[in-house]
Amino acid sequence: MKQKKVRFLVGSLLIVGAIGYLITMGISNTSQYFFTVDELMSQKVSFAGTGLKVKGKVVNGSIQRDPNDYLDVKFFIEENSASLKVAYQGVTPDMFIDGGEVVVEGTLGKDGIFHANTLLTSCPSKYEAEKEAGKMHPGTLPQADKYQKPGLNKAEVLPKTTI
Amino acid sequence: MNDIGEFTLLVALATALYGCVAYVMSARGNRIDLYLSADKTPFIVWACIAISSICLWKAFLTDDFSLQYVWAYSNRELDTFYKVSSFWGGQKGSLLFWTLLLSTYMLVVYFQNRSKNLRVVPYAMAIMLAILVFFLFLINFSTNPFERIPLPPEDGRGLNPLLQNYWMVIHPPTLYLGYVGFTVPFAFAVAALISKNLDDGWIRMTRKWTLISWFFLCMGNLFGASWAYVELGWGGYWAWDPVENAAFMPLLIATAFLHSVMIQEKKDMMKVWNMSLILLTFAMTIFGTFITRSGLIQSVHTFDEATLGYYFLAFLFVIIVACVALIISRLPLLKSANELDSFLSRESSFLFNNLVLLGIAFATFWGTIFPIISEAVRGVKITVGPPFYNQVNVPIGLALLALIGIGPVIAWRRATLSNLKKNFLKPLIAAIVAAVVLYPFIPLGSRTEIYTYTTFVLCVFVLASIGTEFYKGTVSRMGLHEESVVGALATVTWRNKRRYGGYIVHIGVVLIFAGIAGSQAYGTHTEKHLQPGESFEIRGYTIKYEKLIAVEATNIKTRIIAQLAVERDGRRYWTGHPEKEFYKGQNQPVSEVDVLSTWKEDLYMILADFREDESATIKVYVNPMVSWMWTGGWIIAFGTMISMWPDRLEQRRRLDRVRKQEQLFPAPAQE
Repeated sequence: MKQKKVRFLVGSLLIVGAIGYLITMGISNTSQYFFTVDELMSQKVSFAGTGLKVKGKVVNGSIQRDPNDYLDVKFFIEENSASLKVAYQGVTPDMFIDGGEVVVEGTLGKDGIFHANTLLTSCPSKYEAEKEAGKMHPGTLPQADKYQKPGLNKAEVLPKTTI
Repeated sequence: MNDIGEFTLLVALATALYGCVAYVMSARGNRIDLYLSADKTPFIVWACIAISSICLWKAFLTDDFSLQYVWAYSNRELDTFYKVSSFWGGQKGSLLFWTLLLSTYMLVVYFQNRSKNLRVVPYAMAIMLAILVFFLFLINFSTNPFERIPLPPEDGRGLNPLLQNYWMVIHPPTLYLGYVGFTVPFAFAVAALISKNLDDGWIRMTRKWTLISWFFLCMGNLFGASWAYVELGWGGYWAWDPVENAAFMPLLIATAFLHSVMIQEKKDMMKVWNMSLILLTFAMTIFGTFITRSGLIQSVHTFDEATLGYYFLAFLFVIIVACVALIISRLPLLKSANELDSFLSRESSFLFNNLVLLGIAFATFWGTIFPIISEAVRGVKITVGPPFYNQVNVPIGLALLALIGIGPVIAWRRATLSNLKKNFLKPLIAAIVAAVVLYPFIPLGSRTEIYTYTTFVLCVFVLASIGTEFYKGTVSRMGLHEESVVGALATVTWRNKRRYGGYIVHIGVVLIFAGIAGSQAYGTHTEKHLQPGESFEIRGYTIKYEKLIAVEATNIKTRIIAQLAVERDGRRYWTGHPEKEFYKGQNQPVSEVDVLSTWKEDLYMILADFREDESATIKVYVNPMVSWMWTGGWIIAFGTMISMWPDRLEQRRRLDRVRKQEQLFPAPAQE
């Protein structure tokens, strides 16, 4: 009887061990440091060449697109007056706008330029309709921001509460 | 109307509080008078919450912008359809919606079990009322949906266009129905622990509830995946986002629970394990809510400024501590009557299936909270993304798939060499044939490709093993009765709904596995900036950008549509219309993708961007076998229906048991 129990214990431990091994290997192979721009800049060790995730705000007016290759984008992101130049190749998300908060994933080159292979826009209130329609996406239609009802302005003086 | 809504919420809280206390006191002190009074509270609580919900719905439908919540999630031009669904569009309303569902479930349980099993049910009602008290407390004092704006504005802010999709109407309620549903088995489990009625009564009483909740959770996950697929426009359906994980983990643990309760019913084993699993499932649903509402972990789904999460964390802490203490104090009563006999047996395959499912859940959990842990321990935030989950969960998932094939055909108690040979010969032959046939068609260069190949072979193995089960049943039926093949198959399934319904669910799961493997391994995509008239090729399709069309759809919506001709072998074969929609007052356009879906592959097109000169950036994905997953989902739904269908034989057995039980333990309080 006892022997049987021990065998089941060993069998289960083997499974649990295998899963644990997979998890540790997975973490060490795929994990990325996550910094805000100022945190990255204040690090003493150089992170050049390692996979990183960096969060910051797009500097106003810094988005540059290559006139010959529309998918080639360069911009700066900043956080607490530290800034970082980012190069990205690909379609940018709808929410990628001046002043918008973005998370870039990629590697920091030796030249100090961050080469992003993913560009995520994060919005603290994703589930909420945008209030101000002042800033425009390159593809936004001109008439999209003409609508400003008096009610909307009045409502904005509301105290901020959770919704 | 709004005052009524606010007032009824307060009444509901007070009544629930009273009911909770009265139920417990009546059960402890055997007081019939208190029991009779407590037994009226579930209905009152439900009615109050229902009235309050109707008030909120009415405010949405009548554009009552004096409510801050209505102002924030609706406007005059919004479709009635979406006005109804705006109810759960934000934090406050979704909590009220949660409460409404929970109280409705409670009411159904109340009518189902009225004056039945008076030792357990009062405690179960008290637990459900206690959980309701927590939610009602939040709604009343922290996130009141009836919060007023002193000077009502003219118009509301409107609903986020991303949420103006029919999935928005279906997906959250489905998920909530699943999430909330697990409260019922949880409440009965705790009630069984408190009242020391620790046979499998609570499992049988809540089996349907577990199945229904599992079903909704499963469908909710799939609906979420297809919503992301058609709406978010990134060509994928699952991103291992914390909130997706939050819905995925309870599903895994609930699946483990569904399987291991069968062992308890048949063999009277694994009692502590089952208790722990249902408690863990419920804890995971609360943990999921905590993640969504705390903003602690970065995710696209989070609600804004949600300090509310910490209430959930405290609630979670209380639940876990209380339940662990309760289980430990009842350990002597939870002893198993039997033991596992052999490694090669149905019982141990269930045990391994449980370990594997929990393994996937744990890996997912670890990945989700890893940023917090690393920040606390090492001071740096370290994140893991989809590569981590894929690297860890794919091998474990393959082990699970193999177990789906082994489980149904391996013998109970102890499998001998001869019955192994008898049961496994056909499925193994099928798998070997599949391996040989597929070998020339599938490249085996990288690890992903080897995994995909293994998945397909295992899928064939599982289908063959389920097929032999159906075959055996049908043939033996035909030997005894004069019936056609179809007739015999139907009768066999109908006579053993639980068993064969389960097999049908497994077939659906196999299709989902195949769909995931195919779409992850063989997908491709490309993006091009094109002038009208230019074209490019992808996987044998020629895609030609013809023109850009602007349509003023309604006075709040403008659509920019790209017309794309899809040609194959020089023949025009389909026209795609991906578009971007611009909503009034929103500076963020919404991409609407166009998908040509066949059983072989999906051609998925996105209008990524366009410029004044009518040039446009088009992104095209070819995603093989995605439709297999949706088909798998429908098969799972069908299988669950069958195994849930009321079984007269089973009902009769249950009635007998209840009668026997009541003879043994005369009910303490009855009218």
